[in-house]
Amino acid sequence: MPTFNPSSWSLAVKLSLTITVAVAVVGFMIGAVMIVQDWKRFHDVLGEKALLLSESIAITTPKAMLRNDHWSLYLSLKNMTTRRPGTKGGHEIITAMILDAEGRVQAHLHPANNPMGLPFLPENGFEQDLLRQAMNARTPIVLSSDGFSKTGFQEGVIPFFADQKYMGVIRVRLSVAQLYEKAKNIAIIILALIFCFVIIGSTLGTMVSRRMVKPLTEVTRGLEAVGRAEMTDFTPIPVNEKDEINRLSVTFNQIMAELAEKKMLEEEIAMSEKLVALGRITAGVAHEVNNPLAGLLNCIDTLRKNPDDKELIDRYLPVIDQGLHRIKEIVHNLLVGLKIEDGDQTVSVEHIDKLHDLITAEIEDRNIEIIWQNDINKNLHIPGKLEQIVCNLLKNAAEILPNDGTIIFRMYQDGPYLNIDVSDNGPGISSNIRNQLFDPFFTTKPNGSGLGLWIVYRLIQNMGGVIEVISEKDQGTTFHVAVPVTTTQAA
Amino acid sequence: MRLLYLLLLFWITPVYATDTEPPIRFGLTAVVLTENLRFLDQWSQYLGQKMGRKVAFVLRKSYREVMDLLDSGGIEFAWICGYPYVQRRKPETLQLLTVPVYRGAPRYHSYIIVHHSSPYKRFSDLKGKIFAFSDPDSNSGFLYPLALMTERGEKPETFFRQTFFTFNHAETVQAVSEQVADGGAVDSYIWEYLAVFRPDITERTRIIKKSPGFGFPPIVFRLGVNGNTVELMKNTLENMADESTGRMLLDQLKLDSFGQYSDALFNEIRSMANTVQRTDSKFSMLPTY
Repeated sequence: MPTFNPSSWSLAVKLSLTITVAVAVVGFMIGAVMIVQDWKRFHDVLGEKALLLSESIAITTPKAMLRNDHWSLYLSLKNMTTRRPGTKGGHEIITAMILDAEGRVQAHLHPANNPMGLPFLPENGFEQDLLRQAMNARTPIVLSSDGFSKTGFQEGVIPFFADQKYMGVIRVRLSVAQLYEKAKNIAIIILALIFCFVIIGSTLGTMVSRRMVKPLTEVTRGLEAVGRAEMTDFTPIPVNEKDEINRLSVTFNQIMAELAEKKMLEEEIAMSEKLVALGRITAGVAHEVNNPLAGLLNCIDTLRKNPDDKELIDRYLPVIDQGLHRIKEIVHNLLVGLKIEDGDQTVSVEHIDKLHDLITAEIEDRNIEIIWQNDINKNLHIPGKLEQIVCNLLKNAAEILPNDGTIIFRMYQDGPYLNIDVSDNGPGISSNIRNQLFDPFFTTKPNGSGLGLWIVYRLIQNMGGVIEVISEKDQGTTFHVAVPVTTTQAA
Repeated sequence: MRLLYLLLLFWITPVYATDTEPPIRFGLTAVVLTENLRFLDQWSQYLGQKMGRKVAFVLRKSYREVMDLLDSGGIEFAWICGYPYVQRRKPETLQLLTVPVYRGAPRYHSYIIVHHSSPYKRFSDLKGKIFAFSDPDSNSGFLYPLALMTERGEKPETFFRQTFFTFNHAETVQAVSEQVADGGAVDSYIWEYLAVFRPDITERTRIIKKSPGFGFPPIVFRLGVNGNTVELMKNTLENMADESTGRMLLDQLKLDSFGQYSDALFNEIRSMANTVQRTDSKFSMLPTY
């Protein structure tokens, strides 16, 4: 369904429409001025013709009036106003009359309705007014009907005198009907020409605007491709000229080529990073599983050689058990890290607080102070994954601290984010290993698996949150976690 | 050689107008349609050929101007109306030459006409209206309607609201047909002539009164004109009906012939003029020059 919202129209449409409207407005304005000027000119010329006719009649009128020669008066009126056959440019005479000083008809072109010798009787108020103006005229004047109408007229009024004595007035009224037709025909021609100009103008405008806008359309399409990260599919915009828009196209083509190259490089880097990570995991698994395996195989080998040595059995079975558990734990942690599910189980905030006891037990008799600050309502429920995140971070802090120190736990809500800070005043993390903190199997601890922080990172990533490490040498470390959560009221 | 003489004889014998003698001047008035100049050329050529002298038609607007020319010797012949013919001149300056025969008789009428759409049926209906006279010296176009008013004890200035002269019977018909005048008096010969050639004008008029027959406007000659010339003109005109070119010209004039009639033919006009002159009303009607 087409939309009529101009703001959604393309630039090409807007440009061509603007050009069309501009051409039409200018054209029609010029046309209107020409038509009005023509009409005024025609009107003035017609007025002059009416005056000229009246003046011609006035030449013989005074003598004929003095002689009482009404027939000559009538003939001069009729002859002057009758168009001879074959003459061009004549105008339709509406009426003509000769009135004496008292307003009596001396001759009239329509004598049947205007008998001679009787006062001339105007048909209406308008005619009455015209008669008054004509009778008051002592110099030639032109009387006009108002407006642009087929029934309009121009009337030449000539007062005539004998020996400076006012004798009467001659009125010749010409119809504008022919002018009207002429003006109408000219107007039609002008309008038709303007219409043609508008069509030609708008066609040219459309062509020019399309040509101008085409590179912009291509740039827009290219940018949309960038938005969809499909730079490699982009076909360069053809460049034919050297104007501003084409220079933009050239620059854009270069940017797109560089972006495509960059994207390919990034994809290659991502691929190699994946391979590196896979290699690291493989190496980690190999290393972590292989170490206990060698000991376990030695134990089993020794037990096989001494199957009846109960002491050996008692000594080695716990070792084998411990080694196998170690392998199980590594595999379990790997699985946790790799196969995080979008589980939506929640736990009450109290579960987090129970971790306080767990870490207190972990510390045992070391002189470590735990500052616990939980600002979240105890009755609320939070995502269950947070429990493991907090647990891992607290254990890390407890393990990193020497015999004395302080662990600060803080949990609070800030808008849609649940924030958790776990700080310690331990030795801090040196900057050269800070980038590897969340890599799998990276550890600085002698017995660490290197999977704790990796799991934390993976869980937070899965929840759409962020983790930040603030650490300075000998100043301690703070892990700041922010996850978007909606806390729910505990049932 | 004899043949050559014979040919020369024939060459000289036909009577042609020559340029050496002054032309015979023939005055025409509105009793005939003087607008048809081609016809007048043909007629003058015909008369010239027959008389052996060039004949020139002299045209004037009014009857009076033609009568003045006759009086002053400016023309030799004239076709005038019966009314100026019967008026007494002292001394008399003209004499009857011949009279046209129209539709079998040397007579014509005066028509009182009105516009075909007008309600007027009688001359008396025109009281208080506008009336067009043809010429103050015209019998049919002025004297007859004047006589009608005199019979009623009226004068034109009291009977009509407005009157004017057209000085031309054809224009009187036009004035009535275009309703410039409510009524008019015209020569029946002219009206009938127009009815043939310009029916569009006469169709818009209606005859409400036809006068008794009057002597047809005669052709007169000025006293003092050479007797031979008078005789030649009389014979030429009266013989027109006897030969083809003459008949063709008479056809165009819608006349039968020219004939010799006595002065008594104009007695009706004469008596009417006498009656009207006594009332002395006509002079106040004349246009002032």
